[in-house]
Amino acid sequence: MKRTIAACALAALLAIPALAQDAAAILAHVDSNEGYSSISYKGTMTIEYRGKRFVKTFESVARGRNESWVEFTNPEDRGTRYLKRDGRLYVWSPDTEEVMLISGHLLKESMMGSDLSYEDTIDSETLSARYVPALKGTEDVDGRKAYVLELIARKKTESYPKQVLWVDAETLSVLRFELYALSGARLKDYRLVRSELIGGRFFPVEFEMRDLLRKGSRTVFAMREVQLDVPLPDSAFSMRRLEQ
Amino acid sequence: MDRPTIRRGGFGALLSIAYRNIWRNGRRTGFCVAAVAIAVFFNIFMQAWIEGMIGGIEEVVRTYDMGHVNAVTEAFDAEREYLPVQFPLAGGRDWASLAAEVRALPGVRAALPRISAWATLFDSSVKHAMLWGIDLEAERKVNLFNLTRRDDGLVEGRWPRAGTNECAIGTALSLKGGYAAGDKLPLKTVSAQFSDKYWNPTIVGIFDFDYRRFDEGAVIVPFDRLGRLLALDGATQSVVMYAEDPARVDGIKEGLSGLLGAGHVVRGWQENYWVSMLRKSTFLYLVVFGVFQVVASFLIINTILMVIHERIKEIGMMGALGMTRAEIVLVFFLEAISLSVLGAAIGCAVGAAATFVGSLFPVDLELFSGGGMKDLPMSGTIFVKFTPGIIAGGFAFGVAVSAACTLVPSLKSAFIRPVEALRR
Repeated sequence: MKRTIAACALAALLAIPALAQDAAAILAHVDSNEGYSSISYKGTMTIEYRGKRFVKTFESVARGRNESWVEFTNPEDRGTRYLKRDGRLYVWSPDTEEVMLISGHLLKESMMGSDLSYEDTIDSETLSARYVPALKGTEDVDGRKAYVLELIARKKTESYPKQVLWVDAETLSVLRFELYALSGARLKDYRLVRSELIGGRFFPVEFEMRDLLRKGSRTVFAMREVQLDVPLPDSAFSMRRLEQ
Repeated sequence: MDRPTIRRGGFGALLSIAYRNIWRNGRRTGFCVAAVAIAVFFNIFMQAWIEGMIGGIEEVVRTYDMGHVNAVTEAFDAEREYLPVQFPLAGGRDWASLAAEVRALPGVRAALPRISAWATLFDSSVKHAMLWGIDLEAERKVNLFNLTRRDDGLVEGRWPRAGTNECAIGTALSLKGGYAAGDKLPLKTVSAQFSDKYWNPTIVGIFDFDYRRFDEGAVIVPFDRLGRLLALDGATQSVVMYAEDPARVDGIKEGLSGLLGAGHVVRGWQENYWVSMLRKSTFLYLVVFGVFQVVASFLIINTILMVIHERIKEIGMMGALGMTRAEIVLVFFLEAISLSVLGAAIGCAVGAAATFVGSLFPVDLELFSGGGMKDLPMSGTIFVKFTPGIIAGGFAFGVAVSAACTLVPSLKSAFIRPVEALRR
């Protein structure tokens, strides 16, 4: 009996680093799946809020995780541009005709009325760099086997101290994730609607986001004409372009 | 055979006896009069204070919130705290064309469009403010924004001009954020189409409305410019109407409801939560005043009981000499009434003087609250209301309550038998 218990304890001890290793490996796969050296796409953001539906279209390019450009093209928002550069987020609006820096408490505001905040869009580091993962087991998500990863923030300053990810066991795409506050309250929900095999990886091209603090709200992001790892000029991310 | 007639004293004679009696113990009378006077003074002053407070709240509601009649859409009303701009009045109809019809309604003195929307300021020290889009020229003809000084409230610079990227902010916001006239006020708001709108208006004026909620959290901007920014296409979020007679707004409400059609909420200023709640609670104040008056009357009750006890032989004598029970009761009752009248008169005089002074010099509530009353629709100062009605009412109330309280002890004298009284 004692031998059995000892064997079980040893097996459990040996399993801990293995599971931890698995969690880190899975998260690294997730990062590499969603990472790119550059991206160019046209997007649609469909916001449903309190029974109303708003559709916004935009064009976006990004280089690595530090530089990105979004320009809205739907009639109501035409001309509104965002530039992320050097860890800062700038906006140019036809109403002001000047560049304004979005910082501080403004980063927590909803972006263009969607369920995403500005700070959700400006993370420059990978999940692996920001969180310590732990594998909590497997679950079935819409008929697909998924690893459940619990991520705990490495820094106290992280916007969401905890995340829970459901990662497709086959494609290693994130099928679902939940973002939590320090209090343990669930703040946001993400669900993958569709991913496409682009450049040998399953890239999320349509997903739904829900800000749980906004009653009756959801936003569906859809990307089309996605091009990954295409060369982009420096001028695509210049202040001059923003001011033009 | 002639029946012997007994000459009885008239009411005047009994009153004269009662009045003389009250001075038989000056100190006791002094205490009774002082108690009634303090109660009457308190009641008059508190009623004047409450009337002034309610009047102030009503004025704030009429000036900043509702006018005399206010119309918004049902969808806006359901989410009023968020100030949504997605639900313009009359299905988004242009205000310029709607205004002519609204102003043509009978009994309407003025009809003003208003838009309120939350804004996030770029400055981290003051994160949020309310954009208040109004037709400044028209508003200033109808409203005096500073309810203490009775002026438009501008203390520095000028008001924003229509159609411009200009704004005015309150003194408290100016201090908190370190803003001055000439500075920019970068902000973000959300349009009717749910788009982020960035704006950088120039502060051209600083106002002091003596209304904390606005002085601290409102940014006044031109109605037309805010409407354009929020993509309202000339429509308005709400309309406030001012009636020729503020007490008669039902006709305007009906006319406006018919004009705007279904899906709108049209309310008179009396239906405002604070106004109706305070009006309903007036009864409670009367109960409190009544209790106070009754407590003060205990001193008179006690005095009358003591007097009856002290003058028990006298009562027997009065009975033996032919005074009826009713006359004896009336003497004591008039004595009590005299004390009440005297006390109430003094209380009235002091109360009238205090309320008159209070009506000239407003009480600064910031001293008591430290500026913590911004959630109430209340000006920072209270003018105590001085009206002959309150003073006369205070006098009548004081005398009536005291008289009612002294009736029972006075009746005690009626049950004393003269023979037994003389034996004591």
